[in-house]
Amino acid sequence: MNDQLKESTLKPANTVDVVEVFDPREMKPVVQPEVAATASHWEVRTQEQPYAFLSDKKVDDTNRYGQKIDLVDLTGLPANRSMYINENPDVGVNPNRNKQHGFFFTADNCIGCHACEAACSEKNENPAHLAFRSVGYVEGGSYPDYKRMNISMACNHCDNPVCLKGCPTRAYTKHAEYGAVLQDPETCFGCGYCTWVCPYNAPQLDPIKGQVSKCNMCVDRLEVGLKPACVSACVGNALDFGVVENIPENREQAKTSIPGFPTPDITHPNIRFQQTRSMPDEMKRTDSMPLKYHKEDDGTYTPMVDQKKGREKFWNFGRLSSRENPLVLFTLAMQAVMGAFALTFVGDQLNIAVLSQFKASSMYVPLLITCLAIGAAGNFMSAMHLGKPHRFYRGFNNLRHSPMSREILGVAGFMSTLGLHILFSLPANEVFQSLYSAVVGSNINDLIAVSTANRIATVFGYVCIAFTLFALYYMTRCYRIEARPFWNHYQVSTSFVGSLLSLGALLGGGVLVGTMAFNGLDYQSALATGGALVTLGIALEGLGLIGHHRDMSKASHEGAASHYIQCTTFGKTYILRNALLSINLLIALALTASAFTGAFGGALALVVWGLVGMTLVFTSLIGRALFYVLVVPTTMPGAFFWKNKGFEEHARDIGLANMPQVGVVPDLH
Amino acid sequence: MLFGRKNRKPITIPQKKVAEWKYTTCNYCSTGCAIEIGLSDEGKVVTSRGHAGADVNRGKLCIKGLLEHELFESPGRGTQPLTREKFHQPFKPAEWDQALDYTAAKIKEIQTKYGRDSFAVISTGQLLTEEFYTLGKLVRGCIGTNNYDGNTTLCMASAVSGYKRSFGSDGPPGCYGDFEHTECLMAFGSNLPEQHPIIYWRLKEAKEKRNFPLIVVDPRVTMLAQFADIHLPITPGTDCVLINSMLHVIFKEGLEDRAYLEAHTNNLAELEALVLDKRYDPIHAQHECGIDEDRIRTVARLYAKAKSAMSIWTMGINQSTHGSDGVANINNLNLCTGNIGIPGGTSLSITGQCNAMGTREWSSCSGLPGYRVLEKEEHRQEIADFWGIDPEFFPKQRGLTETDIFPAIETGEIKGLWLVATNPMTSMPNTPRIRKAMEKLEFLVVQDCYEDVETNQYSHVYFPASVWAEKEGCHTNTERRVNLVRNALPAYANSKPDFWIFNQMAKRFDNGHIIHFPDTPEGAFEEMKTLSVGTDRTLDISGMSYDKIEQARGIQWPYRASEEGRKGQNGLKGDPRLYTDGKFQTPNGKANLICVDFVNNNEQPCDEYPFWLNSGRVVEHFHTRTRTGKIGNCNKFSPTPYMEMNPDAAEELGIKHQEYVRLTSRRGDAVVMVQLTHRVARNAVFIPFHFHDCVNRLTLGLLDPYSRQPAFKQCSARIEKVDQQEAARLNAERRAF
Repeated sequence: MNDQLKESTLKPANTVDVVEVFDPREMKPVVQPEVAATASHWEVRTQEQPYAFLSDKKVDDTNRYGQKIDLVDLTGLPANRSMYINENPDVGVNPNRNKQHGFFFTADNCIGCHACEAACSEKNENPAHLAFRSVGYVEGGSYPDYKRMNISMACNHCDNPVCLKGCPTRAYTKHAEYGAVLQDPETCFGCGYCTWVCPYNAPQLDPIKGQVSKCNMCVDRLEVGLKPACVSACVGNALDFGVVENIPENREQAKTSIPGFPTPDITHPNIRFQQTRSMPDEMKRTDSMPLKYHKEDDGTYTPMVDQKKGREKFWNFGRLSSRENPLVLFTLAMQAVMGAFALTFVGDQLNIAVLSQFKASSMYVPLLITCLAIGAAGNFMSAMHLGKPHRFYRGFNNLRHSPMSREILGVAGFMSTLGLHILFSLPANEVFQSLYSAVVGSNINDLIAVSTANRIATVFGYVCIAFTLFALYYMTRCYRIEARPFWNHYQVSTSFVGSLLSLGALLGGGVLVGTMAFNGLDYQSALATGGALVTLGIALEGLGLIGHHRDMSKASHEGAASHYIQCTTFGKTYILRNALLSINLLIALALTASAFTGAFGGALALVVWGLVGMTLVFTSLIGRALFYVLVVPTTMPGAFFWKNKGFEEHARDIGLANMPQVGVVPDLH
Repeated sequence: MLFGRKNRKPITIPQKKVAEWKYTTCNYCSTGCAIEIGLSDEGKVVTSRGHAGADVNRGKLCIKGLLEHELFESPGRGTQPLTREKFHQPFKPAEWDQALDYTAAKIKEIQTKYGRDSFAVISTGQLLTEEFYTLGKLVRGCIGTNNYDGNTTLCMASAVSGYKRSFGSDGPPGCYGDFEHTECLMAFGSNLPEQHPIIYWRLKEAKEKRNFPLIVVDPRVTMLAQFADIHLPITPGTDCVLINSMLHVIFKEGLEDRAYLEAHTNNLAELEALVLDKRYDPIHAQHECGIDEDRIRTVARLYAKAKSAMSIWTMGINQSTHGSDGVANINNLNLCTGNIGIPGGTSLSITGQCNAMGTREWSSCSGLPGYRVLEKEEHRQEIADFWGIDPEFFPKQRGLTETDIFPAIETGEIKGLWLVATNPMTSMPNTPRIRKAMEKLEFLVVQDCYEDVETNQYSHVYFPASVWAEKEGCHTNTERRVNLVRNALPAYANSKPDFWIFNQMAKRFDNGHIIHFPDTPEGAFEEMKTLSVGTDRTLDISGMSYDKIEQARGIQWPYRASEEGRKGQNGLKGDPRLYTDGKFQTPNGKANLICVDFVNNNEQPCDEYPFWLNSGRVVEHFHTRTRTGKIGNCNKFSPTPYMEMNPDAAEELGIKHQEYVRLTSRRGDAVVMVQLTHRVARNAVFIPFHFHDCVNRLTLGLLDPYSRQPAFKQCSARIEKVDQQEAARLNAERRAF
């Protein structure tokens, strides 16, 4: 602790000037104004007032979660490092610069005047559609016994920064200076995964620039001992800032939660609240999210469904199409090709007769080439979905923490080993052999022995299977996000594995049966094997959906709101999918059984299987589209226009979004 | 682990690279915040910041002020003068000389043909004081029409009128510093957090240091109402009943400051007799004003017993048929409790526009410069002598106000109009009627910073004006503080400062060659200083200069040259309060107690039109959105009009949140998006007034008999369901910005 901090009270920078310091409350600035004026990071205003200066009187050892507040102690990193803000090598003059800082929000006081948001956007030069800080509100009671509580929220620079862990490009750094979680938009390739995992909607994806940016804690101001711009601008005396766990002057509480704020358990956010005014038992949101907050016996508020749109069911087929369309296709495509490969490769390895026959046939390689092509198309779409597709290679940069990086690694591994497997499977392919002889004029065995090639192909095949499992596991991990309760359910696994089985068997089995039928072979056992896998996949998907429905129906979190939307806005679509899925399951089951018993066969059976396959593709597309469209994150409540998904959608629909000052980005696709 | 990465990513934060800070005062509302505009090496505006050393805002700014420096380059700015023969023809670009010549000729033609007063001028509260003074000279001294007013009639006329009736002169007697001293604050129809965020902050700071009771009278549960210790959700338009009833309790219980009343007021017996009438006994008054008798008594006792108590009010009082009466009645309350001219005891009108005070003081709209009136021969003589013209050129009493000028266009008495920085197509009540009047004009000049201002669709000449710090001059704020706007950047394109336009126009009239029109605003300021000198004059700015104002970050008047060596701020502190000696600007020096007997002439909800229709402001917008509607980080918080409606009422009508409805009144209709909230009563709706073709298609705007200010806030409407797609289309079409 520095001596200045203990000794002095604030005096105006220029005592000979004509105007006094207006606030006579005793303040002990961490950095004296005359010292602040010497630092190069930020120009302190003439006669800056006490409210703008950081004024921590103490620093605790640990925060309430037991983590050290002194970040040098916590990390072992050296003190007095420069942050190189805008490449400025100077070290800030703030003596507390290695302490974890955080916001303090007096919810009792916020008037919703937008000064914090405006000051932030002005300083950071953000266009209308982006904001590092946003104010929304919850309200309750009935006239005139009515209360509105405004909530101003930016980044909470968490102890456990899930954004940092999730980001595949390593664009995030948690600094030992102030504990600031900062992100570099240049490194970011715009996948938006951090915006999925953050419970507070802090990272902002700019669809125009194709990159994320976020609150930078105004570290330039902190370095000279000033509070962030939003805090300094606060007109309601609601926002404050300092070393975490410190309670500002005139405040008495430091709670970790207020109505509308997601549970702090996920990330241990560095924000504390005061909220002493009693609020109605039920607090509603004005935005379109069908959520409200209900007061529990202990005084805390938990989310529950607010049936804003009644119980009426709609189709809304058009609304199934979203920004995440490429991911719908990518996940389904990858699961299908992984399944198809696994079926044919593993089937042969297990010495299942029809599959071994197939593997030996000249259709094996074409099937895998088709798989590779479908997979490549899926990957291409997934990459084009990035804000900066040409930076796709940065996706591997955070293998240490990011499930997304690992998924990307898994998929890339799958694709390349599949390719190598195909390459080394070629010599054994009869069509290739004759083509090779015709073009090159020599036997393929001169280049590589078919048996050697087969052995290498088998090795790559096993590696490919390993990558399949790895990719599939991390593909599911990517969606098991605490801030997205609708996804954070085993249904992700049943759906992904189910699709792998059903779509994989449809693709692999389809080619297998088709080949055999074309060659006039008996495909009955192939049909039985493939059909069993299709049936199993559909059944697994169905079981997951039943469990998901059961859990979401009784949940008291945002997942319940997602499910409410599923049952109303998309109610008819949802029923259609469920009905088709059930009927499909029964037919597939019956067909499989008949394939085993041979009770029903011939061309008619193939036609019915074709219908089952088409229905499967259709239900898979609807199901996966619903999966992406429905998710309601644990974000902060919005306002009536700003941060209201319902209004944003409406503004796009009616063309208001074409005026940039409306702050809604029009649909870009 | 998370900290340990060797390669930290670079930290890039926008740097503004300010080479010079220019001192200005905000050009939006009347709070009078000091802003420094940051200019780059090339003289481009790169940022701005509140001035931490300015007493008013102490470095704070609201959303509008924080983003104000973005308006200079915003879309829709006028780039060159435009002219046309008929309003339905396309505009032709013109040179300034052509446009000015054409305008002068048309004014003279209309005046010759139909009489001097057939050409009217309506100005604003947005210009700089020197410009107001110059416009006054031009209109009163050269053009010579008596139909000259400002749009301040829409916002402050009732406060002016009430002050004049009670104290004999305009001018808010208190200051923001009174928050630091008061023991009780009562806010009537004033929602500081939304309308005047920085004044709210001053109040909040004062309350955090030393808490005191806050009473809020408002039919809506605004944020201020929520934070109040006592919220009185009054029946719209009945404030005078509430105040009379409070006075009833005060007199009945002997809580009045009788010594003060006897020494410093007229009309005590009459007022006492009126308020002690049983109609104003809380037992009866409660049914009229909707506040129960116990609360009325509680509030009356609290207010009267406080060592010092103050009242603030804004449009909730001013914009009603009892606006002037309401102000006079608030003055009554403060006179009766001895709360005028003491620290923490005052009647403080929270003014609207940045320079509403400047126009009241110096524009000659309601009379002659420096709070002089046309009705007094000595005032006419004084000004005529100073300007060097014949006093007979001046009319002997005030002409029409803004709200009477439009009906006079309707009746054909007025044929030509010059609008300066005002947009009646959006801002006037009952715009269907205004639209019809505009069509009848033979000649309309629109002078505005924005070419896309809606009223421009009816103009024959458009003058592109410069805005804010493209000019230089003063503003006066709510607490009588004169503050300075320094010229920070050149005029946009071929726009010109209003000051220059008025000077050029004067050259085209005979008297313009006789009266001296200084070339610079500072020259005009020196003239105003000379005119302000007077022993009994409250509005005395003779001790000020541009440099002193900037050094002090604003000086309150009176600030007399004769009082050298004043205390505070190195001698640069003006008087924080008026009437501290109990001496008023009336003939006998005593304040007038005004008897206000309430007559309910408002359009009331009925079977056909069952909802009270209330309108007001939102924090992110200013007036008719010509500025804030183009600044994305303001506009995005309410990019289209909306209506607050009670969920229970909506349930009955089958209306859902965020649906469109159609409203109808006896004047017209409007389409708005519904925001369901219990902030409003079951039989009331609220719509922000900023949007073109919206709430003012419905409003009645009955006029206050004294101030001629329209009652924007009390009329009735019906709500109808509407085809959602059609309504959405209409809503999008009506938003040009």
